[in-house]
Amino acid sequence: MTPNASVTEIATTATAETEKAAAEALRRSVSSQFGRSLHIRTLDTGSCAACEQEIRLLAAPHYDLHRLGFFFTPAPRHADLLLVTGPMLRAFGVAARKTYEAMPGPKLVVATGACALGGVYQPDAFSYGSVDQLLPVDVWIPGCPPSPLGLLQGLLVAVDRLAERVSVLSFVAGSES
Amino acid sequence: MPQWFVRGLRRGVVTTRYPDHADASASVLPSPPAFRPEELTGQIADSLVQICPSWALTRAGDVLVFDAGACTACGQCRESEPRAVTTSREFGLAATDRSALVKRIPLLGEAGQ
Amino acid sequence: MTALVLFGIAAVAWALAAVIALLAGMAGAGVRISCGLSALGGAAALAGGAAALLSGNSRVVSPGGSVVVGSLQLQASSLAGVFAVLLGVVAMAIALYLPRSRNEPSAGTALYLCAYNLALIASLAVLASGGVLTFLVAWESMALLCYLLILHRPRSSQVAGGAFWFLALSETGFVLIVAAFVILAAKTHSMQLDVIALRAHLVPADWRDTAYLLALTGFGFKAGLVPLHVWLPAAHPVAPADGSAFLSGLIVKLGVYGIALFAFRLLPEGPAWRGILTMGVGAVTAAIGILYALGERDIKRFLAYSTIENIGIIVTALGAAMTFLAYGQRALWAFLLLAALYHVLNHGCYKTLLFLEAGVTEHAAGTRDMDRLGGLARQMPRAGVIAFVGTLGIAALPPLNGFVSEWLIFEGLFQGFRTHSHLVAILIVLAAATLGLTSGLAIYAFVRGYGIPYLGMPRTRQAAQATERDQPTAGPALLAAACVALAVGAPVVLVGMARAIRTATGVVLRPILLPGKLTVIPAHTNFSGFSPTYLAVFLLAVLIVPILIYRAGRPRAGSDVAPVWDGGIIAFKPRMQYSSMTFSAPTRVTFEALYRPSVSVQRASDDPAGRSGPVHYESEATPVFERYLYQPVVRAVEWLADLVRPLQSGDVNLYLLYVFIAVLVAYLIVAV
Repeated sequence: MTPNASVTEIATTATAETEKAAAEALRRSVSSQFGRSLHIRTLDTGSCAACEQEIRLLAAPHYDLHRLGFFFTPAPRHADLLLVTGPMLRAFGVAARKTYEAMPGPKLVVATGACALGGVYQPDAFSYGSVDQLLPVDVWIPGCPPSPLGLLQGLLVAVDRLAERVSVLSFVAGSES
Repeated sequence: MPQWFVRGLRRGVVTTRYPDHADASASVLPSPPAFRPEELTGQIADSLVQICPSWALTRAGDVLVFDAGACTACGQCRESEPRAVTTSREFGLAATDRSALVKRIPLLGEAGQ
Repeated sequence: MTALVLFGIAAVAWALAAVIALLAGMAGAGVRISCGLSALGGAAALAGGAAALLSGNSRVVSPGGSVVVGSLQLQASSLAGVFAVLLGVVAMAIALYLPRSRNEPSAGTALYLCAYNLALIASLAVLASGGVLTFLVAWESMALLCYLLILHRPRSSQVAGGAFWFLALSETGFVLIVAAFVILAAKTHSMQLDVIALRAHLVPADWRDTAYLLALTGFGFKAGLVPLHVWLPAAHPVAPADGSAFLSGLIVKLGVYGIALFAFRLLPEGPAWRGILTMGVGAVTAAIGILYALGERDIKRFLAYSTIENIGIIVTALGAAMTFLAYGQRALWAFLLLAALYHVLNHGCYKTLLFLEAGVTEHAAGTRDMDRLGGLARQMPRAGVIAFVGTLGIAALPPLNGFVSEWLIFEGLFQGFRTHSHLVAILIVLAAATLGLTSGLAIYAFVRGYGIPYLGMPRTRQAAQATERDQPTAGPALLAAACVALAVGAPVVLVGMARAIRTATGVVLRPILLPGKLTVIPAHTNFSGFSPTYLAVFLLAVLIVPILIYRAGRPRAGSDVAPVWDGGIIAFKPRMQYSSMTFSAPTRVTFEALYRPSVSVQRASDDPAGRSGPVHYESEATPVFERYLYQPVVRAVEWLADLVRPLQSGDVNLYLLYVFIAVLVAYLIVAV
């Protein structure tokens, strides 16, 4: 996980062991800071709004993200996590940077949806193609749109309450994971 | 308004208990494909690369590179080559590292599974 | 006696200033010397006013005159002392403002300065007059000289129109004032104001009431009571800034002085309906004044309507005072008179300040239209701060002086129940409610009046290039300091004015006004009280102490400085801001029945989607008083004139016939 919290000096100093220990410490701090209460600011950089509909369902009774301690907030100043959808249109670039910079550290960025991850649209005159061209992303959630369950799993991975598992998946039929 | 209240009482709690318990709906959600390397010839791989509307599939020599992040789960690859591609029924696909979403599937004609 | 001496010094200084202006006013040095003398005269008038306040009505002095015209009678009364203090402050401030505002003096400047100083002398003479004739001569001179002031830039027809409205209504009022004075002088057989006051009870009641009504209407023309106010918005925009400041700061107060003279000195005892009528007129004036102010884009017209509103507040207080006296509540009578006079002082200070700042703005940005200004507080920081002090004062926000005087007026009105008459108490409460509405609208209006020109982004290039280099600051700064002093030093001011009130009304107000050193109570201990000084200190502490605590305990770790969250917008454009009309739109829609706007919309084509070209939208508030009151009167006068015109045929033989008939009639009358 690339940290964009304000503790960057820890990561730049020494060897692999200290880096690993530092990453562990950061992970624990993220978990302790955000694990019980997280404020999420959604940012639509030009999506078709299907991702937004699934995100909105998170607040509905069936998935109810409030029971996990997550809340939506419109003000980036109050937000801990920026949930970005859409292929990052160039026209939106200034607004996206301003939103990101308005969030106080430590903060997390989660890109969700195939558009935000680089699929569906190639970079061209109108879009950057993927969110990480402009913002440093911590967690990627694929899907088109990602189901609310997928979003919940992604958010829990972001705050370190669940372990990420896609790295051990092989997408080969017949194998175990 | 009273009808809604009564209906809610009759249905009971509908909130999912994920992540403490698995959610039953997970298995019916659309999901990215799973590949059968024993059916993936070079030709089939090329046609799959052509057909994917989201640039999730590319071919790198003897390997089919599948970007699970770019996949929209549209099912075109599975419909065009049902023997080589099936659905994976995976839903918890969040990654902290973008490269963890890029999978390399060996093509047929190479030694290995 | 010293007051009259000081007034004499002031008059001499102003006379010298007028002469120097006439002789040397075309050179910068001449302008400065003239203004220096003018300021000196202002200081002398201020001192004289203070002396008159504290020492009570002086003796009448008759320094001259003739058998035919009557003698010049001068007296420094304590009521006039308050207005003389205001005259001094206004004169000093304008004298400090004038030199830097006239960068290229010309013959027009010389004449203007001469007329201005002579107008100062005339105003002082109105205040210091002890006799009817002196008063009337001084009043008329003051009116004519102010007409000359307004006509300073006579090239446009608008200026001539505005000045003409001023003169016409002033003369109409003068006729009524003459009638009022003549009634009193004839019935009491004296031309001296003191003697008239002593013998007033001998005048039959209905003559007394008629005289009062004539005076209320006549002085109401000058003060700006609705519907006699139409000259104010016509004359103020076209006069030069210091001329408007002088008009609003002082001249309309002379109208109030006239009403106060009749109501409190000459004819104090009277039926309650006089007071209720005055109070009603004042309340209506206040409400209508501020409502029209909300529809104005021109800063000076806006300030003119705000003057009408404040005059309404003052006259409401005077009317309520008269009502209280009619029901025997002498303490409240004196208290409300004091509150009204305090408001006169305060309004004079901050209105003059705002007009002078409007002049600075017009000079710097080239326009008086609020919608072409914006961001001036950043371009002209000193002017921004000074105008802000004036705005806080006129919006009656604590801790400044407007708040103190309006609080006093409200506390007086709230005690209407002490009249023990249900009807009158309800009417007084209605007046208080109207004043409450007015105060709320005034805050709204002045947020608009300060926010649109001074805050935000400049809406035009001229506004963006405005600079206050070479702009006068000392005059407005003096007035801002006066506003703060009048607020924080309110107990001192109240002590001085209580002494003046004691002379004017015989009521000892001090113990029921300032029981301690710093707390003010409204004439009754069991009602309410507050301390302006403590309030000012408290508000300052509430501002400063948290800032100090924060700075002491601020986390030392590095912090990020990020731009203000603006919604992610790429860049703000000036057209995204409020305009003056959209800001006041809610009120204008609510009170549509008063404004009766006439709306005209023209589109380039009838395309329902409206994309085919520019849309021309024009909306104007109907000038209700001009159209339905004044135009019919003017038409009637013209009809009468047409009727009489055949008399002037130009034929010499007909004129000889007239002479013959006149001689015949005179002979018959004498013989019979």
